Amino acid sequence: MGGSAVISFEHVSKSFDSLKVLNDLSFQVTSGDILGVVGPSGSGKTTILKLITGILNPDEGSIAVAEGVVGYVFQEPRLLPWRTALDNVAAPLRAQGLDKAAARQRAAAWLGRVGLAGFEQYHPAGLSGGMAQRVSLARALAVEPAVLLMDEPLSSLDATLKGSLMATLKELLAGRGTTTIYVTHDLVEALQLADRIVELTPEKTLRELDLSDRAALARDWLAKFHTLV
Amino acid sequence: MASTSSRSHGLYTLLGAAAILVGWQLLSLFVPPVYVASPAATAVALARLAWGSTLWIQLLITLERLVIGLAVGAALGWVLGVAAGLDAHVRAFLEPVRWVGMTMPVVIVAGFALLWFGVGDFTVVLVVALVVFPTMYVNTVEGLRAIDSNLVEMGRVYGFSRHLLLREVYVPGIASPSIAGLTLAAGIAVRAVVLAEVLGAASGIGHSFARASSLLESDNVFAWTLVLLGLMAVIEFAVLRPVRRRALRWRKVAE
Repeated sequence: MGGSAVISFEHVSKSFDSLKVLNDLSFQVTSGDILGVVGPSGSGKTTILKLITGILNPDEGSIAVAEGVVGYVFQEPRLLPWRTALDNVAAPLRAQGLDKAAARQRAAAWLGRVGLAGFEQYHPAGLSGGMAQRVSLARALAVEPAVLLMDEPLSSLDATLKGSLMATLKELLAGRGTTTIYVTHDLVEALQLADRIVELTPEKTLRELDLSDRAALARDWLAKFHTLV
Repeated sequence: MASTSSRSHGLYTLLGAAAILVGWQLLSLFVPPVYVASPAATAVALARLAWGSTLWIQLLITLERLVIGLAVGAALGWVLGVAAGLDAHVRAFLEPVRWVGMTMPVVIVAGFALLWFGVGDFTVVLVVALVVFPTMYVNTVEGLRAIDSNLVEMGRVYGFSRHLLLREVYVPGIASPSIAGLTLAAGIAVRAVVLAEVLGAASGIGHSFARASSLLESDNVFAWTLVLLGLMAVIEFAVLRPVRRRALRWRKVAE
């Protein structure tokens, strides 16, 4: 990989059965960047993330990802229902080789950082949707990831919760230098967080957006979908 | 509202039990006592059995066979169920065993066991284990296959080893179906132990029941039946339900 690129896609294509989802995709994510990937549902955004994690392999092209742990915030929290919030955050740390006490200590600290101090012993059934997604965020960040992948993490939340969790996210990512890919169908979300934004085109390729006037981009986007704007 | 509803359900359950008792009493008035002992005669017979050592000795004998057979059959069913649930080739290999196990009537299993091993403890325990195994196996396999694949994917993304996936995802994920399977298996085991004792043992509740029946001692027949129902009630309410509550307490809030 050239320069300080942490993730590199070179001419990557991916199909499922006869449906081409990604077509000759090439892009790089440099260290410390927050890259927003925007596109409608079914455009291949999640596929990009799964290719990075290695859960899927490309049909063509090559993918290079720097060594290190990946943190992943899924669209739904995907918490283990039979484990407490604390043990849900601690589980990936155990996978990294930390002992139980150390894993739980770090997990407790991260739950505090996402505003869930006092909820460590709650099971997921006892948490609201927003709280569960915060646990998922704590889990992704507690592993001190080299790469943080977020797959529409706010899509299942109402507007108030979205705003609150977005503020938490910005606060947690500020100054950490964590290389991040934030996938969303909502450009306004990406505009609040990302350093660079690429859009998945109907041809299944990527187009980088000009972010010199974020407010105008946001207005245009909202006008497309909300007739009152 | 919930407590009123459960109180009302409890009252109807009591009424249902009372209806059975009343029906039994009425039946005993019209049918000769050699066929149907009255509730009062049954109570006297039960007291007589309990006062002496007969009831307790036979109960312990049956309980020991039941527990060993259930433990062996359930453990084997669970272990093979986990293997089959995780591996399609193992599942395919065990499919004929599953089919034979689920289809074979208990009396045929007991017949084979008696033919090969004669009358005794081993025969009874073997019958129980063989009859319990397929139920536990099927529940375990289906439970594993029903585990949320999103959780498995989450584990893989975070680099969970096979051991960690088993410990954190698969084993807790099949706790509920496993306990359901164990509850079903316990009910089957009680029926199986009694049948096996009727056919192939010289002791136990089943043997005592068969002996009373052959001597037309209807009061003892009914008394031993009540003993068996009592045993099943203890197993379900004093053992299985508390185990279920403890193992599935994380579902308490959602329920």
